[in-house]
Amino acid sequence: MSATTLSPPRPLAWIGAQPLAVLLAFAVLALVVSWSAAPSLFSSHDPFLGLTAQKLLPPSATNWFGTDHLGRDLYARVVQGTWSSVTSALIATLIGLAIGGLLGLASGFLGGWVDTVIGRLIDMLLAIPNFLLAVVIVSAFGFQTINVAVATGVASVAVFARLMRSEVMKTSTAVFVEASVLVGGRAAHVLLRHVLPNAYRSVVALAVLQFGTSILTIAGLAFLGYGDPPPAADWGLLVANGKDYPSSPWLVFAPATVIVVTVLAINRISRWIRHAA
Amino acid sequence: MTRNTSLSQAARRIGQALVVILLAYSFTFLIISVLPGDPISNMLLDPENGFTEEEIAPIIAHYGLDRPVLEQWWMAISRFALGDLGISLRSNRPVSSMLLEALPSTLLLAGSAMLVALLLALLIAYASQNLPRRWGQGVARVLPALSLSVPSFVIGLVLIQVFAFQLGLFRITQPNSLAATFFAALALGIPVSAQIAEVLIANLDHEAGQEYFAVAQARGLRRSQLFLRHQLRPSALPVVTMIALSIGELLGGSLITETIFGRKGVGSLVQSAVVTQDFPVLQSVVSLAAVVFVLVNLLADLLYPLLDPRLRRRDTAARDDTAERLA
Repeated sequence: MSATTLSPPRPLAWIGAQPLAVLLAFAVLALVVSWSAAPSLFSSHDPFLGLTAQKLLPPSATNWFGTDHLGRDLYARVVQGTWSSVTSALIATLIGLAIGGLLGLASGFLGGWVDTVIGRLIDMLLAIPNFLLAVVIVSAFGFQTINVAVATGVASVAVFARLMRSEVMKTSTAVFVEASVLVGGRAAHVLLRHVLPNAYRSVVALAVLQFGTSILTIAGLAFLGYGDPPPAADWGLLVANGKDYPSSPWLVFAPATVIVVTVLAINRISRWIRHAA
Repeated sequence: MTRNTSLSQAARRIGQALVVILLAYSFTFLIISVLPGDPISNMLLDPENGFTEEEIAPIIAHYGLDRPVLEQWWMAISRFALGDLGISLRSNRPVSSMLLEALPSTLLLAGSAMLVALLLALLIAYASQNLPRRWGQGVARVLPALSLSVPSFVIGLVLIQVFAFQLGLFRITQPNSLAATFFAALALGIPVSAQIAEVLIANLDHEAGQEYFAVAQARGLRRSQLFLRHQLRPSALPVVTMIALSIGELLGGSLITETIFGRKGVGSLVQSAVVTQDFPVLQSVVSLAAVVFVLVNLLADLLYPLLDPRLRRRDTAARDDTAERLA
């Protein structure tokens, strides 16, 4: 769309040309990734060590997010919980992308009765409320963060399948695809060379958006206590633990703010991919 | 001729809806009763749960747990089709009567949430068109995206913290009071309102770019009339679609909202069924949620031609064109 899509002569100039909000969003994402990669680098406090003398302290220079009911440093807990919160959302997104993508591809490319069958399957997945579906899967397979991730992924299959199907169908009717078929291109060639490359940008944008949505869903499931039990520190679980101490609102607001800022950043990046990248 | 095709089309849609309901029931059955290796017997036989032999035998007979899976599935689905939802493993009562008890409170909550969501969405959409461009419209346009980034439980907790604890407008110990119900509905409705508002704003923008809009503007119509007649009315269909689609979200969201606000309802019934592994309750709630979702969307589909004269026209090209734009 914009001039920036052409190969940039200087990477620095290209970065400088992006909107400030996008750069900020990438900075937030980089911070979150580093939190999950090396939590100990970012906090000198031990996330498991409680000092009862220092319980429920408000945020200060030593305890940035305050301390919880056992006197643990909340910032250290948030940083420690990043890995499982983010990785499970990533797993969920990949499951949805893989299964949904394949279903949508088959449905849109093959058409006919395959399309009809997969279409009804997608309708079925859409008809069961996502959150309820995830809840049922977790309760059948056990309260663990990994099950929460799988459940969230399965619940998001329909969205991916629907988008992939419509993208594939849109491209399949394009003149250059018709031409490729007419000059004798085989199905696999047409698919890999023409159809997928044209579908991929909107699918990637959806995957990034869904990554943010998955963080929210997983936080909700962890909030209800369906993930790993404490002392795990999933963001949703931290909020759930904090809500029992209404006179110490930072126990809710600090982890909640981290969730919101992360998801906002991810959504902004998704929009950037859709429009500009 | 037209009448016939639209009738057969309606019949086809109803057939599809039935298939989807059947699939949804079977899928839930697969997850709950087959994949984890029969959790019902696992739970019954777990000595920690303290079921005696005499208690277990009738339950196993009722669900046919000693029979092949396909036979169990057939028993379950024919019962469901006849309206028999089974018996709770925990309270030993029919699931249907437990659901009937829980339903009014959730219907009230979900209904008010939908109302709140619609009003908020309309307000935001109006602001996005008619406020001063830079600050007013900008804020109105950012608001939906912002509230879609906030977990719904955080919205509920913030409302409780501010309006119950700080301002004392309602008491969390009286979850069924008018004020508490209003704030619970607000918590459940805000994410839905954001989705409706996003769709609505996109459609209002589209209408504002049309030539007939410019003509109406040139005729000197007032802002409010311009908005109602030439922007809002043509955008009604996507809004109906969004409302129908968000039914599922309201049902799923009531789980969290009812837990946070301490209300008794279908959501809290699910929550306790999950904790106590009461699978007949889960199976019923999930499949009924799917039934509700399918019926509401079917209704919306059948309503479109009544709402939009363009869909009543005989030439199908225009109809397809409109349908495509709405999708």
